[in-house]
Amino acid sequence: MINELITLIVGFAASFLSMPLVMKFMKKKGIVGVDMHKKNKPVIPEMGGVAVIIGIVASVATASVLIPEKNRLLLSFLASALIAGVVGAVDDLRPLSARVKPLLTLFSGMPILMLCTYDPRGPIFPIIGRTRLTIIYPILIIVALAVTSNAVNMLDPFNGTMSGTCTVIAATLLISSLILGRNDGMLLSLCMLGPLLVLYLFNRYPAKVFSGDVGSLSIGAALGAIAILGHLEAVAIVAFAPQIMNGFYGLSTMGRLYERREAARPVVLLDDERLMATSDPEAPLTLARIILARGPLYEYEAARIIIILSIISGILAIFTAYLIKVTT
Amino acid sequence: MIRRILDFVLVLLFVWTCMILGLWFINEIIVPLEIPWIKNHAIIAIIKLMTSGGLAFLWLWLWREIIKRMFWHTLKTHKKYVKKAESEKSDKN
Repeated sequence: MINELITLIVGFAASFLSMPLVMKFMKKKGIVGVDMHKKNKPVIPEMGGVAVIIGIVASVATASVLIPEKNRLLLSFLASALIAGVVGAVDDLRPLSARVKPLLTLFSGMPILMLCTYDPRGPIFPIIGRTRLTIIYPILIIVALAVTSNAVNMLDPFNGTMSGTCTVIAATLLISSLILGRNDGMLLSLCMLGPLLVLYLFNRYPAKVFSGDVGSLSIGAALGAIAILGHLEAVAIVAFAPQIMNGFYGLSTMGRLYERREAARPVVLLDDERLMATSDPEAPLTLARIILARGPLYEYEAARIIIILSIISGILAIFTAYLIKVTT
Repeated sequence: MIRRILDFVLVLLFVWTCMILGLWFINEIIVPLEIPWIKNHAIIAIIKLMTSGGLAFLWLWLWREIIKRMFWHTLKTHKKYVKKAESEKSDKN
């Protein structure tokens, strides 16, 4: 247990120390974005997710030194996050089309298949137990990591929502691993938790840094990889509910894959800096827009609601883990 | 704020319960299904797959319809905000 806690501390420290340097570098290179939900439109450094990747690399390297028997598992986890991170970095520097990006993220599941670090017997669900998805499961792994990485990328409408909800998911996977006695899931969740906490500290309202696609895609792929490698698939589906809802609503109303920059804005900024859901039928139906349908809110209030929803999903996911334990 | 959260919690609980019940139904009813008048195992497997897929699509369709209706109904009842914002915009222009 001490080894696992050391990986958490190292991941946190590496991200915390590298984040200011990454922010300074991005600002110097002009890799910045405009915070659209503020009246004065501040310019914020982008690609803060690079510091998250540095934190993940540091915590995984520490874990591989302290627990060498887990090297294959750690390598497949890190490679999955890095592949998605590279896709995200390319997208941040030279925007990819709405179809190419999800296709490229399919590669993030490959290391898990190539290193055979998944359980070939298939996922375990509450009540029904282990499923017989032996043939289709490897294909599902590839799709699952592309889904989680893109779903996390899509749920980043306000300051701190992506980092906050993903921190909740990582904590949920950690608690579920403890309930189900899944040591691999526990170790990988601890590797993720430190860097995610740092990102939340810097990205929460008012944001000092944006994670960029490099952050959101790598975090989504890493969380998906924890679900597969820690045999926490059913738990992860429930924990990812806000992300799945957001992605599903957006895709089902638009009827196709879309990029935020090419679709009508679902949310508009009022003069008093509150945000309001647009009544434009062409705009995608996102989680943020549905939350704002009951009337305008300040950005920090809307972000807080999304994080509370993630916490409720997390509680339901932990209950799902408990159901798996008692019914299978 | 509580009403906004409650809307989603209800949808979340509906989706979660449907998922668990659907999984149970597929595992307990559809997978062990025997069709005595069809001898070909491949056809039986395809029927089972299509039934399960149909159930999954019904679940997704229900989920989408509930959210769509919930959103437009809520937006209509809070129309005054929309009108206010539109008038603010036209004043600006």
